[in-house]
Amino acid sequence: MNEPRALTIFRHLFLLLFAAISIYPVLTVFSISLRPGNQLQSTDLSIIPENWTFTAYRQLFTDQPFLRWLGNSMIVSCMVTITGVALASIGGYALSRFKFVGRQATMLAILTTQMFPATMLLLPLYIVIAKLHLVDTFLGLLVFYVSTALPFCIWQMKGFYDTIPPSLEEAARIDGCSQFGSFWRIILPIAVPGLVITALFSFMTAWSEYIVAAQVLQDREMFTLPLGIKSFQASMSTEWALYAAASILVSLPVVIVFIGLSRYLVSGMTLGAVKE
Amino acid sequence: MACRAFLSLCWLACALLAGCGERSEKRTVTLWHQMVPRDRVMLNQLVAEFEAANPDIDVRTLYKETEELRSGYQAAALAGIGPELIYGPSDVMGTYHTMGIVADMSDWISQDEAAKFVDGALTYLPDLKQPTRNQLVLLPDRFGNHLALVYNRNLVPNPPKTTDELIEFAKAVMVAPETGERTNRYGLVWNFVEPFFAVPFITGYGAWVFDDSGKPVPNLDTPEAIAGYKFILSLRDEQKITPQNCDYETADSLFKTGKAGMIINGDWSWTDYLETEGIDAAVAPLPTISATGKPMLTMISPKGYSLNPFVSPKAADDAMKFTLFMTSEESQRKFMELVKILPSRKVLLDEPLMQSDPTLQASKAQLANGRIMPVVTEMRATWDAMRPPYQKLMGGSANPGQAAREMQANAERGIELIHRKDVPETAAWVWQLAGILICGGLVVWQRESLLAFLPDMRKQPFAYLLIAPAILVMFATVVFPFFYNVVLSLSNMSLTNYQDWQIIGFQNYSDLFNVEVIAGVTFAGVLLKTILWTVINIAFHVGIGLALALALNGPIRGKSLYRVMLIIPWAVPAYITALTWRSMFHYDYGAVNLLAQTWPITWITESAWFVWLCGTAPPYNWLGEANLAFAACIVANVWLGYPFMMVIALGGLQGIPQELYEAARIDGANRWQQFRNVTLPLLKPVLAPAVTLGAIWTFNNLNVIWLVSNGGGPADQTHILVSYVYKAVFNFYRYGYGAALSMVIFAILLAVSLLSLHKTRATESVYS
Repeated sequence: MNEPRALTIFRHLFLLLFAAISIYPVLTVFSISLRPGNQLQSTDLSIIPENWTFTAYRQLFTDQPFLRWLGNSMIVSCMVTITGVALASIGGYALSRFKFVGRQATMLAILTTQMFPATMLLLPLYIVIAKLHLVDTFLGLLVFYVSTALPFCIWQMKGFYDTIPPSLEEAARIDGCSQFGSFWRIILPIAVPGLVITALFSFMTAWSEYIVAAQVLQDREMFTLPLGIKSFQASMSTEWALYAAASILVSLPVVIVFIGLSRYLVSGMTLGAVKE
Repeated sequence: MACRAFLSLCWLACALLAGCGERSEKRTVTLWHQMVPRDRVMLNQLVAEFEAANPDIDVRTLYKETEELRSGYQAAALAGIGPELIYGPSDVMGTYHTMGIVADMSDWISQDEAAKFVDGALTYLPDLKQPTRNQLVLLPDRFGNHLALVYNRNLVPNPPKTTDELIEFAKAVMVAPETGERTNRYGLVWNFVEPFFAVPFITGYGAWVFDDSGKPVPNLDTPEAIAGYKFILSLRDEQKITPQNCDYETADSLFKTGKAGMIINGDWSWTDYLETEGIDAAVAPLPTISATGKPMLTMISPKGYSLNPFVSPKAADDAMKFTLFMTSEESQRKFMELVKILPSRKVLLDEPLMQSDPTLQASKAQLANGRIMPVVTEMRATWDAMRPPYQKLMGGSANPGQAAREMQANAERGIELIHRKDVPETAAWVWQLAGILICGGLVVWQRESLLAFLPDMRKQPFAYLLIAPAILVMFATVVFPFFYNVVLSLSNMSLTNYQDWQIIGFQNYSDLFNVEVIAGVTFAGVLLKTILWTVINIAFHVGIGLALALALNGPIRGKSLYRVMLIIPWAVPAYITALTWRSMFHYDYGAVNLLAQTWPITWITESAWFVWLCGTAPPYNWLGEANLAFAACIVANVWLGYPFMMVIALGGLQGIPQELYEAARIDGANRWQQFRNVTLPLLKPVLAPAVTLGAIWTFNNLNVIWLVSNGGGPADQTHILVSYVYKAVFNFYRYGYGAALSMVIFAILLAVSLLSLHKTRATESVYS
């Protein structure tokens, strides 16, 4: 069915408006990164400032261990994504398909882990990490990030599995598939959009976190990107150009990951074959 | 097969991760410092020299931002680890000393050596156990940290000697010499947010923060101080030589771009100005106040090294070796040459460089008009007391008399709270017994489900196997911290009881309703604001996110480009975009105000009804007024949040079978009915977790409020519960209070979630 022309125009206008709103603040960040002499604010509204320069970007690679930080962040984020997606995809499945004792309580308990203000958990968490000698290792960070990302991921996966009719697995089981087999071969491929969101979310959780990282990582060589970026900021002498340039660069991988994943997000296998 | 490959990949990664923590054989000295980038260059050079001379010692330096260093060091010290040395200004020493997290360094400094330092540079504080004995808590490598006047010689040829001259010169800056017309330049700028920058004005009228008793008794409500504040306001409102609003970054940018003739700023910033292209900066002492004939006095303090008391004697020796090297004459001379900062050793003050360098000369002259900043904890409480009323004064919601009165009242209350003795009402074992009884009671109460647990586990082990790893990981990180906080909320942990805290009962919970840790901020008010914050944010996140997803769903030109642009607010780290939003809300230069004054938007913003609705025509004082600051935070957070909801909704839309729409169309449903009866119900299971968790995250979202409103500003009127917890704990050291407040937050969220889950049945599948 063709939609009315007016609706198409309206859709475009609406998307254009929000696209502009979405990118304008980021363009100003880009503008700060091109400004000579470290200024956050400017009386000048143009995006390309006078005397613009790429010095900040060059400095990131020549004077700062930016690539090292990028590598660290990549390791941590990818590990968190893999672990997060793996645990959430099976955990969410259990919650969606099995009526086990304490299922409701489990779902609520998962939620409750997000309810306590994270700032107050920092001090005891730090004590644990110190006692377990996990300071300056990625392992401590990994466990914390996965546990931060999991509640959403599990709930999200459960939500996706809930939209898939159980008749699919029943059919597979009748055809001789094992319990795990019907999950792995039938359900998981259909839940790809959910997996993509879960992956994106896990990645973002690890990618942009710095408060816990600042506690766990004390060695500059071990820094993740957000920590590196934060080290350009001081209460009264921030290197704004470096700070902004690094922020632009740090968001590029996310955009790339998103572009790569959005193919699945949008044309995830539809349930066209399913007849209720 | 895939499964095994995945497992071995995991093991490999774990091995890699664990292997990264290896340490070298050398003895290490770790230093956490807050040196500005230029200083770090010299620091690294000196560290290399030291390591060459002491090959068995490895010095690791780590830069941390002021607040991060403070909170990080406090936590590390409590955990019994942390760096051997910390470097910073002396103002935090009072609190560190009270907490017992700095060591006495006097064993390493002889009397003769100590005499070589400038008077007041070595920071001594009385031993907490033997008040007659003094402990050396900070060994300085520089002395100053003071304010002076920096002027741009292109605009102000000679520095003003008096404030009358200052006003005259400033006015000259603001008009174009050829035409005599008003330019967009300002005469004088400084940071209006921190009362530290106001001190020279009030001292010029004869005021000081403490009284003359020699004890740290605040004396902020004096006629002299009020005269000082009046003078500050007159510079802006009568002489009109300063901007309407000005924070540190604005002042800095204005001066660097030649849009301000003079700036009042500290010694840490001067070399940066001297080297900024396009301006010709020079430093001069602050002028004399014409009305009183008195000089403007600035606060001065030493900066230097402090020792962690929780390190081995051997490590302390190494650390002190490094400290003595860094504070030696030669090292200080190098710093002095590079960064133009006054040394802490007397002999260096008579160097030839001191006479030849105009910046050092001006700095020394200003130092003579300085008063040492007291390092006691009361000083910190005094700053905290002055800040909100001072911001109200500059924002126009208090007059000088009111502000001064409020500062004094805040300071007295704050200091009283620090010294309040919180002692246990009942013995510790009573609390332990109560805890055991509660746990036992819970087990008895839930015995049926617990008993049903084991047989069920045997019946469907597959389900438990699937969920167990996730549960283990989550609870491994949450359980201990949570119970730690439960105990903390019943304790008296605070500045004065940092390491030796004990359980005192429900004092903190009653304090929630009876004691204002931040003046004028009540629990009920903050709770109301938090609810408002959550509801508005979630409504916009879901509304906009869903609308965008629907607009993107189905064939449309440029779809992938739209999609990428719309995801951007999520992709760029919030800690930079929040700051960007803060500058977009700037009064004079922010994009939001400029936009509101641009045609055709003025058609709305300047129309009679809109002006009536807002109470004013643009520009709006976004960050200076409480309600507008709160609105600014909401706008920034809505912007940050809608891409996430859009992605979720997009994902959810893909899962809806097209057949259902076809069926609906055959039944004659129009677009709205299709949306209402097909799209929404099928999106619900996917959106429900995002909305539920989104609400919880928004409720507990510290970052945006903190960064956009600059810590709950103006004058602490923009707090939500979490930012209030953060402030109470990390600025006011009320750990027990913060934990109690967190428990209340937890209880509120738990109750609301239980209720809404019960109502919406979000845990249930659509097919069941």
